[in-house]
This record gives sequence, structure tokens and C-alpha cells, in this order.
Amino acid sequence: MGFGDELIHDRELFSCLSCYACSNLCPSDVDYPVFTQKVRNLASGEGEHGDCAHSGTLLSIMRLTSRSDIKQKRLDWLDGLHTSEKSEVLYFAGCAPYFEPVFEDIEVSPVNIARNSIKVLNALGIEPMVLPNERCCGHDLLWTGDVETFKKLAQFNAQMIKESGAKKIVFSCPEGYRTFKLDYPNYVDLGCDVQHVSELLAEKIGQNGVKFKEIKKKVTYQDPCRLGRHLGIYEPPREIIKAIPGIELVEMEHSGDESICCGTSVWTNCSSYSKQIREERLLEARATGADMLITACPKCQIHFKCAMVDKGAEKGPDIKMEVMDLVNLVANAMET
Amino acid sequence: MEEIKTGVYICHCGLNIAGTVNVEEVARYAGTLPNVVVARDYRYMCSDPGQALIKDDIKNLGLNRVVVASCSPRMHEPTFRRACQDAGLNPYLFEHANIREHCSWVHDDRQIATEKAKDLVRAAVRRVFYNEPLEIKERPLNPNVLVVGGGIAGIQAALDIANGEHRVYLVEKEPAIGGHMAQLDRTFPTLDCSECILTPKMTEVGQHPFITLLAYSEVEEVAGSVGNFKVRVKKKARYVDEEKCTGCGVCEEKCPWKVDSEYEVGMGKRGVVYVPFAQAIPHVATIDKERCVYFLKGKCRACEKFCDAKAIDFEQKDEIVELEVGSIILTTGYDVFDSRRIPQYGYGRYDNVLTGLEFERMTCAAGPTGGKVLLKDGRQPESVAIIHCVGSRDENYHEYCSRVCCMYALKYAHLIKENTQAEVYQMYIDMRCFGEGFEEFYRRVCDEGVNFIRGKVAKVTDVALTEGEQGKLAVIAEDTLLGGIIRVPVDMVILCPALEARFGAEDVAKLFTINRRADGFFMERHVKLDPVATATEGVYIAGCCEGPKDIPDTVAQASAAAAKALSVISRGRVVIEPTTAQVNEVLCQACGRCEEICDFHAPKVISKDGLRVSSVDAALCKGCGACAVVCPTGAMSVRHSTREQINGMVEALLEV
Amino acid sequence: MAEFEPKIIAFCCNWCTYAAADIAGTSRIHYPANVRIVRVMCSGMVDPIYILKAFEMGADGVLIAGCHEADCHYLNGPLKCDAMFEKIKRVVNILGLEGERLRREMIAAAEAPVFAELIEEMVKQLKKLGPSPLREGVKV
Repeated sequence: MGFGDELIHDRELFSCLSCYACSNLCPSDVDYPVFTQKVRNLASGEGEHGDCAHSGTLLSIMRLTSRSDIKQKRLDWLDGLHTSEKSEVLYFAGCAPYFEPVFEDIEVSPVNIARNSIKVLNALGIEPMVLPNERCCGHDLLWTGDVETFKKLAQFNAQMIKESGAKKIVFSCPEGYRTFKLDYPNYVDLGCDVQHVSELLAEKIGQNGVKFKEIKKKVTYQDPCRLGRHLGIYEPPREIIKAIPGIELVEMEHSGDESICCGTSVWTNCSSYSKQIREERLLEARATGADMLITACPKCQIHFKCAMVDKGAEKGPDIKMEVMDLVNLVANAMET
Repeated sequence: MEEIKTGVYICHCGLNIAGTVNVEEVARYAGTLPNVVVARDYRYMCSDPGQALIKDDIKNLGLNRVVVASCSPRMHEPTFRRACQDAGLNPYLFEHANIREHCSWVHDDRQIATEKAKDLVRAAVRRVFYNEPLEIKERPLNPNVLVVGGGIAGIQAALDIANGEHRVYLVEKEPAIGGHMAQLDRTFPTLDCSECILTPKMTEVGQHPFITLLAYSEVEEVAGSVGNFKVRVKKKARYVDEEKCTGCGVCEEKCPWKVDSEYEVGMGKRGVVYVPFAQAIPHVATIDKERCVYFLKGKCRACEKFCDAKAIDFEQKDEIVELEVGSIILTTGYDVFDSRRIPQYGYGRYDNVLTGLEFERMTCAAGPTGGKVLLKDGRQPESVAIIHCVGSRDENYHEYCSRVCCMYALKYAHLIKENTQAEVYQMYIDMRCFGEGFEEFYRRVCDEGVNFIRGKVAKVTDVALTEGEQGKLAVIAEDTLLGGIIRVPVDMVILCPALEARFGAEDVAKLFTINRRADGFFMERHVKLDPVATATEGVYIAGCCEGPKDIPDTVAQASAAAAKALSVISRGRVVIEPTTAQVNEVLCQACGRCEEICDFHAPKVISKDGLRVSSVDAALCKGCGACAVVCPTGAMSVRHSTREQINGMVEALLEV
Repeated sequence: MAEFEPKIIAFCCNWCTYAAADIAGTSRIHYPANVRIVRVMCSGMVDPIYILKAFEMGADGVLIAGCHEADCHYLNGPLKCDAMFEKIKRVVNILGLEGERLRREMIAAAEAPVFAELIEEMVKQLKKLGPSPLREGVKV
């Protein structure tokens, strides 16, 4: 493509959130995020990686899951849940087990979201499979330009899924969902359907006689970029929230396809700017008067909760707010 | 970016390295590594000709990075850094590979050792690629010293520094200096009068041209770091003009209201306007506002009427004094354990159960009984029990030994023997007489016919079981030497309560950003090798605020702290090591995790141009790197121990 | 075929364990050459990425060794290191790494023989375990 060095070595190359807000506005339909992804691939070949958040440990874990001989011990959290060795539905747990220890200090439990996803599936009469040696979906590696490792992960996952005989894969993480739906087909053949848990839920609510108890709360909803602008899923999560009696759903100033990103992506170039975006978004959420911010993406939750950390003696603006995953809300409402 | 030109030098160290490692092969290999422009081996790199090789190459080949593979960097890193600096290269652009202690001396297979040496050299070459030139900074220093606490420790430290002709601000929260030592009668084991040895020192403090005494004052705020502290001190209103007051005492005499005297530990009275004790420095009166009838009810002003010097000033206000000092010595002392906390000893319930400090006042010739040992009813006791370890060496209160009680208990026994005909019982756990002349004094008291009963006292009671116990206090203990429970009827019981950390020590620790041990006393930098320094550079501790100790130890420690402060002063400037934490302000999200984890209070979230960001005070930072590990965005890093440098080494070590 | 020789990366704190390794040298206490020491100023400075990076690069074992709690040059470094270690240990467990491959030890400057014995022991254990499951065609 003949890029100059400036572009490949520019720090800001790794600042794009791939939130697709730009494409929403672009009159010429330029797919800037995918353009960024390709240039990052070239930059990555030159040893560029932006500023790695968490010192790069999360990306390193993801790379390590691509090693051929690993035998992960990633299913401890399944205790007491109904899963099956042979099922048409496969639940893809993704990074949840790895994120659990890393984000304990900000009180985010991705494993809890995974557990609740299975509980919700069980309530809908589904006993899904969960793969014991599932590899990382590769989303963050693809978007930081490491296409080679991404391909490897895609191949491992595709092969395991084929062998499992699954007909449908369900995700509670929009990033995995997007990756399987839009990126995997470029490299591998999955031979099965993929769905976000919110789509499945919206489809099945009422069918299985699922009853929700009343939750008296005013909530607002954060559209995760991958679920919203990447895949156009805006309504199913809202339908689910509204189906819970007692809940009042209020919208933020920016919502739907105008929604504002949670401020940082792929553990790279997380900066004072990312903090500012999150601060503004949380102020928007608070301005609705909602008791809770619901999101359908574990990473949104991680990023918002991280932004609320304020341990210095001199305090910043109050942006504290309860943040909850949609699946957790549903699971709470299902409890009798 | 400038081209990286690295020179690599492999040392033979005679046969120390070359005997096991094929140094020529390692040098040849080093020459093939990226960015290496010259690689040599030499018999002794640390020798003058060895160093000259490096210097010449820096000058002639334009080297901008240097690696020496030789002994441990803990040995010769400074040598080679200096060589680089001499040749005009920033010393932090040097890197040391340890192929002697970590290689040739611990392995014997020549091939394996040679391969390991190559790995270590490769890692150093990779690391040095990421090294950055760093600058050692110096800051001017304020030579003034703040001493907080005017007991014997503070007095000694202040005099040592002031005698070196440096300004000392001595802050004391009470109306007069002297501390606990001023209340003591005689000091063990020499039995010299406490007042007689303390008073001249107090007077010297009061008159010293280099000491500014701020009595009846408290430190409210401390900012800055070593060399440049800014301190706010509140000088509490005495309602007496210090300049005008002559300390004549007429006001106290005329004051119609009498209250318990703190100095006499409640055994004597003082006026509401008072001079704490006869030798008090500063020798001026203070009105106890909390208890003054004029302040409470708006009427009286008797003192004002009788003061010829017109020193009484009911309008006086607290005053804030701002000080600038370069170092701080904390000598805030101790509290005496409240014996009421052990109710079975009967303190506060039985008239003739006294604490050590009360007994001190009793034997003092100027004290409330004129130096006579008397029971509450005025009789002389016929028998006295001295109970050791009241709150010390006791899991329920303080596990530590208070260190002074055994000795003053012996002193009490001697004084009782000297002044009365009484039988004396020492009820002890162990006798600890470890200081100069202590054991000899113990012998002497033994020879005076004092009874020693080894065992912890369980109870003191006035319930008599035998006729002999009628009208007396029975001390119940297990005599561990005889192996049985004993009851000793006595007329008087003297408790030896623990010395404990001051009430409010936690706040003081916070104020000066130092740490406390689990027992509540202030923590030294290193228990053995740095006993008067603290976690905060420029803040030193001495005396009983660091832990219980006797007067000689306190004075020695105070002089040590003074020497520390004087050493800072004589250096004349603050040297700031460059290997400290730094903040990338673009990445920083002001979450404060760094501020929370740092034991030295170096990083702080501040507002800068309207943005909140963490900022590191390099003078406080020790470069330990804990902040960088908890920083989620990578904003925080430590100079000369960056992630690039360490990751680079790991990669280089494993990539072959 | 030659015997499997494990690779160990040891992050050693400058004040204690690095010094212990120095003294092992001065005292000529021999130990296997499988270990490569990386000097850090404090065990509390060891970032989890260094550990993961070592495994990514093909290390069979990683050791983090520094002062005992009471000896720390920086007061509480060992405690901070422990907190980091607990987290990363859980992560590598999920990756399926055997416990023996990632170790945290406290070795004082005077404990040169302890250091040498530890390396002996680790090498023995790692030889038994074989190459790390995380080892592969290495990409940085």
C-alpha cells in the first residue's frame, strides 16, 4: 500500500476505539476501523504495539492460549450448573476465567456473568456445552494487528467446535460474537450459527414460561459498540429490560447508534482521553436519574468500573454508579 | 533517532572468568549482535588500561552505549559508570553483565559456562539499547531543623544541632519543656537527681541563641520533602504575654481555683493559672482556659488584678507560625499505661496502690509529701510490694518489655529501704538488668534485704483471709520458683506500668508520613542499621516515641538523630537520584493507585492545568517500582527499570 | 538424544537474592547453569508481564525471589510482590501451567546455599515435568 513510516510509527494509530461512530457519520461509507485494523497489521510487523494497558499482560494471555500443547483448567466456575457434553448449543465463555483474578480489585466478575448466562440458558430449557480447552476468540489480537496469532486461534476454535457437533454458539461477550460472526468467516468455516445471549433471550422470553419477579429500579442502557454499531443489535437488550416488571428504562442523551463508547479498546492506548470519555459517559448516565447502568458487554463494565477508581487524596468528580451486566440483571429477575 | 553504537568488553578477570569461560569466543559472539560496533576482551577491565579501552572507544568510535561483562554490578558498576562519564558518556548508558559471580564461579563446564556468558551478554546488549541518559539533580537545602517534643530526647537533639550553630525550632505541646524526665526523682542506677542533671540543659535550651523555643505549640501541617519542608505550627494562646511575664507566681497564688497538677500526677494542686513546676522553661504562666472561671462564667480576673507585669491577656489568640526547615526530628515520647485497665490490681480502688510516677513524686524532696514515703493516712508503710510488668510482657496489653521498669523498681526498693523500715517485695517475671552498672545495682539492692518473688501477680485484694492480712492489701501471685500460690500482705503496692505509644501517635505518623510498628511506636528505617531514620527522607526519630528506653539510650539516640540532621546540613544540598518513578501524563488517569501503594508518599494526584494527573516527588521516591506494577495504563514507570528494559532482557535471554 | 535442559528465568531483587547469588559465586557454591538471573531493584517491581513474557518466550520455569518481609530496602516490597504473584499464579494455573514452574521465594543475602539448593531443586523438578506446555515457535 506504500505507507510512509509516519503512519505506521504514529502512536495514535493505536488510539482508534473501532467504535464505528465515524462510519455512522461518514457520507462516503469509509470503513475507517477496518482500515485501521489493516494498518495496525503492518505496524505490528514493524514491532509497533501502542501503549499496552496492564503492561500487556492481557494480550500476552491471549497469545498464550494459542499454544498447541496447552491444557487449560478453565472450567472451575461451572460447579453446580447444568451443562451437557453433547448439545446443539455451545456457550463460548471467552476470557471470563482469565479476567476474573485480574479485575477482582475493581469488583468485576466476568465469571459471574458466564455463570448467569448458563443459568439463563438453563431457565430457557437449554443445557449448553462448554469447551474445556476453548481458546481466546482473538478479537483483541486481530484489532492490535497480530493477524497471525488470530488465525491460529480461529483454526483451533473452529476445529474444536466442528468436533463438538454444535449447531449454535451463544456469547455473552459482544466482542467474541462479532469476531465469530464477521471475522472468522474470512479465515475458517465454522459450519454453525452464532448468537448473542440477548438475541436468544428476546426470542425466547414468553416461550418457555419464564417468569420475572419485580425489580423496582430505574435503569439506563449502554449499547456496546460491537453489539450496536458493529452488528445493529439495539432492540433485543431493551426488550428484555422492559420485560422485567417494575423496571423503568430511560435513555441517555446519546443512545442507540449515537451511543458513546466505553472509552478504551483492545487494552491499548488507554489514556487520559479514554478516562475523559468514560467520565462524560458516566455523567450522562447519572443525569438520567437511573439507579443503574446496564451493559451487555463485560469489557464495558470493566472499563466503567476502572474509571471510577479514585484512590488519591484529592478526589475527582463523582462518577460513581452501579454498573450491571444485562445477563446478571436477567438472572436476578429470574430468581424466585 | 540517533544510531545506537554499542561497545562490549569481556573481562578475563585473570583466570577467574577466563579459566571457565572462553572469553575470546564470547567477545567474537558479542561482535555479531545488533548495534554492537566493537567487542573486545581484556585481562582486567577494571584496571586503568582496561578502563582506558572503553574511554578511547567512546571517543574514537563514537560509542553511545557500553556493556562490560565481568564481575557483579554490585562490585564494579560504579567504576565503569565513572569511566563512561569521564569519556563524556552519560553513566546510565552503561550496562553490566555478571559473568563471574553468576557464571564462571558457579559452573565448571567450559562449554556450558561460555554459552551462559553469551546469553548474559546478549541480554545486557539488549537492555542497554533501551537505556536512557539520566541526570542526577541537586536541590538547595534549608539548614534549619525542627525538633518536635521537648523531653530529654528533644532537648538533647536541639542542643547538639544548635551548638553546631544551626537554627533549631523546638516545638513542645505542653506549657514547658522537660517531659517525663522532669517528673522523675532520682535516676537509676547512679541515683543522681533527675532535676539536677536536667535543669541546666533546659536552661541552656531557653537561652540558646540558635534555639527558637515554641512551647505550648503543636505542628498542624507538614509539606515538602527533605531539605525543604514547610511546617505550620499552632502556638496556643496562654492568655499570658510571654515577654512580660516574669514567672513570679503571684497570679497562681491569687487564683481562687485549684485543680489537680499534671506535673504532680494528681498528688498535688495547681492554680488554674499556673507555672507547671519550679524550674519550668519557659518560666511563664499559662491560663488553663478549659477550667478558668473567667472563661467559663465571665467573672473573676483575679490574676489580672494582681499581676504587676500586666502580663495577663484574656484577648490573646492562637497564633500560626510558618517554619521552613530541611530536616525534622521527632521526639514525641511515650504515655504511661493506664493501670486502671487491669482492674484486678486495684489501682483507683485502693488508696495505697500507686503507680511508679506517683511514687517518683512522693520520694522527690520538692514533691507533695516532701520526699516522705507515706500511706494515704499519713503512716509510714511497714511493707511494700512492687509489681513489675503491669501491661508489659502481657499478651492482653503489650507484648513487649518496657525496658526501664526492672531498674526503677530496684531504685524504689532502695529508696524505701533508705527512708523507712519497711519490708520490700519485688514481684517480677524476669529481672532484666543489662545496662552499665545495672547488674551491680541489682546486687546492691539484693544485699539490702529486699525480697524477690518470681511470678506474675494475679490480684491485689483488701479481703483479708488471715489476721495478718487485716487492714492490709494482699498481693496474690504464683511463686514460680517455689511452685505455689502465695499471698503477701503489704501496706502499699507500687505498680510499674508499661511505657506505651502516645495517644495520637497515629496522627503524628500521618502528619510526618512515617510508619508505625504493630506495637504503635514509630518505625525506624532499618531496625539494626538505620535506627533513627524513617521511611521519609529527612525525618528522624529518637527517644521513647521509637520504643521504651531509658535516659542514657534516649540521649544517645537523640544525638544520633542530630548527627543525621547535621550530616544532611553539611552536605549542603539534596541529591536526587535519577532512578525514580515518572508519569506519562497522556496515559495517566489519576486513579490514585500509585498514591495508595507508595510507602514513601512520592506520587500524588494533583490538578495540573485543569487536568488531574499523578505527579511524583522525586525527592521522596526510592525507585522501588511498586507504583508501576499497579498502574493500569502504563503511565507510571521507573527510570532505568522500564518495562522495555526488563522485557528486553527476558526476550534476549530466551530467544536463542 | 541429549537430556532435556530446562530454562529458568529468575527475577532477583538487588538487595537480597541477587546478592545471595553473588555470594554463591564468591563462595564457589556450584549449581546448574539452567538459570538466567534478571536483576530488579525490588521484588515488588516485578510486573506480571515479565513472567508471562518469559513463558511466551519459552521459559520452562520462572522464579521471583527477593528479601524476606523484614529485610526489604523499600519497607513492604515483598508484600506487594506477593499480591501480584497471587493474581498471576491464578492466571497461569488456568493456562494449565504446573505449579512448580512459577515460584516465589524469599532468600536473604546471607542465604547463598539456599539459593543454590533452590536452583538444584527447580531444575530437578522441571526435568521431570519436561518442556513447558506454553513453549512453542516463539513470536514476540
